[in-house]
Amino acid sequence: MATPPPIVVTGLGAVTPLGNTLPESWLALIAGRDAAAPFDLFDTSGCRCHQAATAQIPPLPHLPAKLVSRLSRASRLAVPAAREALASAGLLDASGRSRLSHLPISVSTTAGGMRLGENFLRAALAREHSHLFSQVSRYLPQQQVLDLQQIFGFSGHSVIMANACASGANALGHAADMIATGAADCVLAGGFESLAELVFVGFDCLQATSIDFCRPFDLNRNGLLLGEGAAFLILESHEHARHRGATVLAHLTGYGHTTDYFHLTQPEPAGAALVEVMRAAARQAGIEPAQIGYVNAHGTATAVNDGTEARAYTTFLGPAVGPTRISSTKAAIGHTLGAAGAIEALFAIEALRTGELPPQLNLQTPIPEIAPALVGSGEKRDGMDHVMSVNLGFGGSNAALIFSRSAAS
Amino acid sequence: MKTHLAVIGQGAVTPAGVGLDALLHREPASHQVAPLGYPDETWPVLRVDLKDPALVRWQREPRLRRASPLAYFLVEAASQALAGIDPAERATTGLIVAFSAGCLVYSRRFFSGIVSQGQRTASPALFPETVFNTPVSHVAAVLGLNGAAYALVGDETAWIAALKTAAVWLRAGRVKQVLVLGAEEFDPLVLDAYRCARWLRRAASSNGFLTSEGAAGILIREAISGDSRTLTHLHDGFIYRTKPQAAHAATALLQPTDPLLPCYPTARHNWLGPLEKKATGDRPFLKINAPYLGEAFTASAAWQTVRALHTLTPAQPHLLLPIWGLNHQFGLLELEHENKQSSLDNPRPNRFL
Repeated sequence: MATPPPIVVTGLGAVTPLGNTLPESWLALIAGRDAAAPFDLFDTSGCRCHQAATAQIPPLPHLPAKLVSRLSRASRLAVPAAREALASAGLLDASGRSRLSHLPISVSTTAGGMRLGENFLRAALAREHSHLFSQVSRYLPQQQVLDLQQIFGFSGHSVIMANACASGANALGHAADMIATGAADCVLAGGFESLAELVFVGFDCLQATSIDFCRPFDLNRNGLLLGEGAAFLILESHEHARHRGATVLAHLTGYGHTTDYFHLTQPEPAGAALVEVMRAAARQAGIEPAQIGYVNAHGTATAVNDGTEARAYTTFLGPAVGPTRISSTKAAIGHTLGAAGAIEALFAIEALRTGELPPQLNLQTPIPEIAPALVGSGEKRDGMDHVMSVNLGFGGSNAALIFSRSAAS
Repeated sequence: MKTHLAVIGQGAVTPAGVGLDALLHREPASHQVAPLGYPDETWPVLRVDLKDPALVRWQREPRLRRASPLAYFLVEAASQALAGIDPAERATTGLIVAFSAGCLVYSRRFFSGIVSQGQRTASPALFPETVFNTPVSHVAAVLGLNGAAYALVGDETAWIAALKTAAVWLRAGRVKQVLVLGAEEFDPLVLDAYRCARWLRRAASSNGFLTSEGAAGILIREAISGDSRTLTHLHDGFIYRTKPQAAHAATALLQPTDPLLPCYPTARHNWLGPLEKKATGDRPFLKINAPYLGEAFTASAAWQTVRALHTLTPAQPHLLLPIWGLNHQFGLLELEHENKQSSLDNPRPNRFL
């Protein structure tokens, strides 16, 4: 029987509320900065919450101004993140186009260019007949994918995941599945999300947003901080990377996903589904839970999520809770929804590569079960071989990814 | 993507009624509906009868108490496709649903409420039902599908993405069978959008469509020798934004295919109709007797797939089904009457998976 190809990561790129590139974001994250700020993208006077982690839209000097003016905010985040990933993988030519004319894409979002859709609905309700199809057509998620395909000059199969807040992890995991089964050799995988009023007000009316500090895994947590951003990885078969002389940054060795049907918006209290996906990911990676050096946790700081997640880590890691370090980076960059799984996977990979660990911000009274595992300020852990990124979402989506220094054992 | 997928279950919810007989044979009735922004004009729309007993029966499910019509369409189509399957097998059945607009009715209601009554009155009951994968979660919970579940988004070709994703899952051994569905629900807001795009039918002869809604699904597994109704090729990724790009993409899509293979026409009632005709050239077309069900994007792609599967016979053993996405890309399915392969081509045993 043929040996399956190891899946390697050869390119990374991110736009987050902490920076317009992955290195900028990572340095700020490790320094313990957070991007929570008063929110001013639209009026929130009728909401409880008036803060979010907003990204600064990067300039796109390489593109014609007319083209840039037509891009949705989501594309304004996705394009620079994808450019950074393609460039770091050595896949951009001198004119900024992809060296691969055929490049499958596996991407995630929950709202696409929703703000354009909101503007269209607003105009329709007001019976303003100036509302334009170009606006409503560009809100659809496939239009952001088409923006990426046309700006970088590639085509091919595209998958757009909309599995709520686990979508980003699903997009990366599915890209790995495509490569592992021979359906693709190289995939641009990632996620993007731009803040929209429908989503902001939605979380606000659920009273899921914090009105002061986002405190993941704290007994006094009172809600999440919404964020936005984009992140992309280049995933490819080891053979494909070797053939083109690419530098291997990490290996994607494990992916687990399942659906928890306990409740539409709440996980089953014991976290059984989450334990199952982490075990599945570890099985694929061929490792024991204790070999995982760091977990980038979902950690939304909502009352229900973090307790369940903490219980799941206790079950999954057993005595390794403590030696395995855990933090949620949502206190720093906010919950970026459809982009969360991708951005947080990149942070986990950076932890694997550098040994530096993102600190758990805003912690006052940690949940006792995992208190010993939560990352403190300035912590380093050298010699990690495996890290994990975990996400949960509305509808019961659960996903876990494991990245390793070397291929699956 | 070369594959061999056997279709072992089918289900449909259409404006012509619920079930395969309605999909294949019945004429739908149209209703006149006004766009939100143009209350003085109306357009014919094909709607699913929500009072159909086959749909009403799902109101007993607590999980569907607040669910949108989309969830009802999906759960009924899924239930039909799963009929005859051992309930124990549902634990190893994956679920993939393709959407274009998703939970449009509740999204429009939720945001309209914000616009008209203010953010303070936003409904916490409505918001969770606006999320793309909410109806997928409902279907899985109601029908006890414990395998993996994905919600995918795109134009009509999201249906192909869903099938290709299912093929990857099967090849990887993640699940033993996959229920793949496409579904859309109608809201008057789409008339505003389609009107702007000049996509709506102004006269019976025009290249405009009737807006529609509904769902369809197929249950697939790896084909074994002797299986009838199989999917053998899944192509997509022929992207476009402008009309010249669309023409080029259409030609590129069909050029590598056998020119003698008959084609199941699917773009006869939208602006891509002339392009389909030109791209297919002298290729034989299947004569379609089934009634026109309107345009319901991913649901239409699923309906057309089921209908095309039913045209397969020993005398008509192989055909092409182009899927013309209206705002991203084109794709193509190849369907065969009888599988002659014993398993997937080039199986790749997979330690990763």
